[in-house]
Amino acid sequence: MATSERIVERRRVFQQYKEDVKERGKPFYPFAMLHDTIMSLVVVAVITGLAIVWKYSTPGDHHTVEPGWLGKLYDEPADPGTINFVPRPDWYFYFLFYLLRIFKWPPTVVIGTVGLPTVLLLILIAIPFIDIRAERRLSRRPVAIVASILVVISMGVLTYKGAVAKEALGTELVAKVPTWAKKEGFAGNQQAIAGAKLFAVAGCLNCHTYLGEGGTNLGAPDLTAEGAKNKGIAFQIKHLQNPASVNPGSPMPSFAGLGDARLKSLATFLEASKGPK
Amino acid sequence: MATRRVTRTEQLQQTILYPVDWLEERSGLVGGLKYFLFRKVPGDINWFQTLGSATLTAFIVQALTGSILAMYYKPDPNSAYPSIQHITNDVWAGWLVRGMHRWGASVFIILMFMHMGRVFLFGAYKYPRELNWVIGVLLLAMGLAEGFTGYLLPWDQTAYWATVVGINLNGTAPFLGPFIAQFLQGGTYINADTLARFYAIHMLLIPGAIIALIGLHLYLVVRLGVTSPPWSREAAGTGSIIPSRNGGRRGLTRPRPRRSR
Ligand code: HEC
Ligand code: HEM
Repeated sequence: MATSERIVERRRVFQQYKEDVKERGKPFYPFAMLHDTIMSLVVVAVITGLAIVWKYSTPGDHHTVEPGWLGKLYDEPADPGTINFVPRPDWYFYFLFYLLRIFKWPPTVVIGTVGLPTVLLLILIAIPFIDIRAERRLSRRPVAIVASILVVISMGVLTYKGAVAKEALGTELVAKVPTWAKKEGFAGNQQAIAGAKLFAVAGCLNCHTYLGEGGTNLGAPDLTAEGAKNKGIAFQIKHLQNPASVNPGSPMPSFAGLGDARLKSLATFLEASKGPK
Repeated sequence: MATRRVTRTEQLQQTILYPVDWLEERSGLVGGLKYFLFRKVPGDINWFQTLGSATLTAFIVQALTGSILAMYYKPDPNSAYPSIQHITNDVWAGWLVRGMHRWGASVFIILMFMHMGRVFLFGAYKYPRELNWVIGVLLLAMGLAEGFTGYLLPWDQTAYWATVVGINLNGTAPFLGPFIAQFLQGGTYINADTLARFYAIHMLLIPGAIIALIGLHLYLVVRLGVTSPPWSREAAGTGSIIPSRNGGRRGLTRPRPRRSR
């Protein structure tokens, strides 16, 4: 159909719609409003129910941080100098967060963090301008059906994967330190060993991998042979204090809160990790 | 006697209706409300089309519970966490209000996605409703931004570290990234200003934008009317999308005896 023809046609169809509604429609009140009200009451009931289950399934006196069926009422208070944390967004961001595991620093990570959400948003906005046919019946919109099924499945899978993604557990990892020291050959270096213990519990392995432990996120590099780059202790400390100051645009969080002494140990450990012998 | 009785009822009616007339004469609001309530909608609309007003209800729950939380919450790093504990454990029904706000957020976001899904499957974003779809996408983005900024406010470990990483992710954007990160943080690191900033964005800036956008959204819904389900045999306006050469649906929608429902 030529464009001008299409415009004339769709105007006519909308005019027809208005006539049809005037002729055969029902008043909003009470018909549609009744359904809307019932649905709204259900929504309020569900929200209230969730709040009640959240509270009453939480064991203890609620000053603790034990999780109930719907998770904790609150976590430990925020501590910038913490040595154990797991960054985890609210569930509706899991799909994005999980996607980040696919990308590698530095060349492609920007695609995951900024490119993808922007593109998704632009595609959403563009839908009515791409799909300009008047056809609304699903049986005649195969592309729309296939696309929506694919979107629902991939969002579902990514959200699920993000929800069950294994977190690096400090207590388990710390047991590996002697093995690491032997493999990497820093068993005699007390400061490096202290650093390795810190490395195991400070959450580094939620983003980095080391001798096969941990999981990649945000495209963070494997640190098994970080020392082989010979960047020096001063660089490592500076990087840990403010990653973006030495590696511009770095998404790694600052660990300045750990304090100078601990950062020194961490840096010593990193420089001592020249790769397995 | 009879005439006086009628006059009295009329007088009574007039007295009662006087404020309504007064308001109508000066604002036209009563007529507007009447138009809103008694406007015709297609006779075949169904339950899926209640998802929009369900989303609106979830948003209203968020606005009300949020306002109550704001009366007790203290947006600075030293008192934020204790104030959350206070709300949860000491304030009367504080746990309920906080719980409803916390879980209402998830319900709001799920409902927005479901509403968007129904609009997509109904093809309801097509002419002349493209603009309302765009407003909807903006609402979706704003809703997610509310989730992101609200997550920091309890100032616990989960909140803090998720936000550190979240801000850093914004920071990776080319050119603008560092500025966005600095703006969100109110400095180069997360600090006391970050929390106040997130709080202001979360409870003033974005909700203001959302309310304005919802207003526009509903204006367009009333102005353009809602679509009939596409599969409906008596769908309003499908009269001749496809002239009869292509299946000939014309007879199904055009002059057709009204069915009682
Ligand atoms: C939230 C994810 C995340 C966490 C947690 C994290 N990092 Fe990183 N790290 C990154 C990313 C992304 C990069 C790549 C960008 C860069 O070089 O700064 C990186 C890079 C590095 C590098 C390479 C720097 C270079 O230029 O050679 C080192 C060393 C490092 N991290 C050490 C650590 C240590 C030690 C910890 C724990 C105290 C840690 N990281 C925690 C994400 C993380
Ligand atoms: C705060 C969030 C939102 C609220 C409160 C809201 C509210 C509503 C309401 C009450 C309707 C009337 C019809 C119905 O209930 O289905 C409606 C229709 C509509 N909404 Fe939304 N909506 C929101 C978000 C969205 C989103 C995310 C989109 C899509 C991206 C969207 C697109 C539309 C469109 C195109 C219509 C017209 C549908 C038709 O004519 O059949 N809305 N909205």
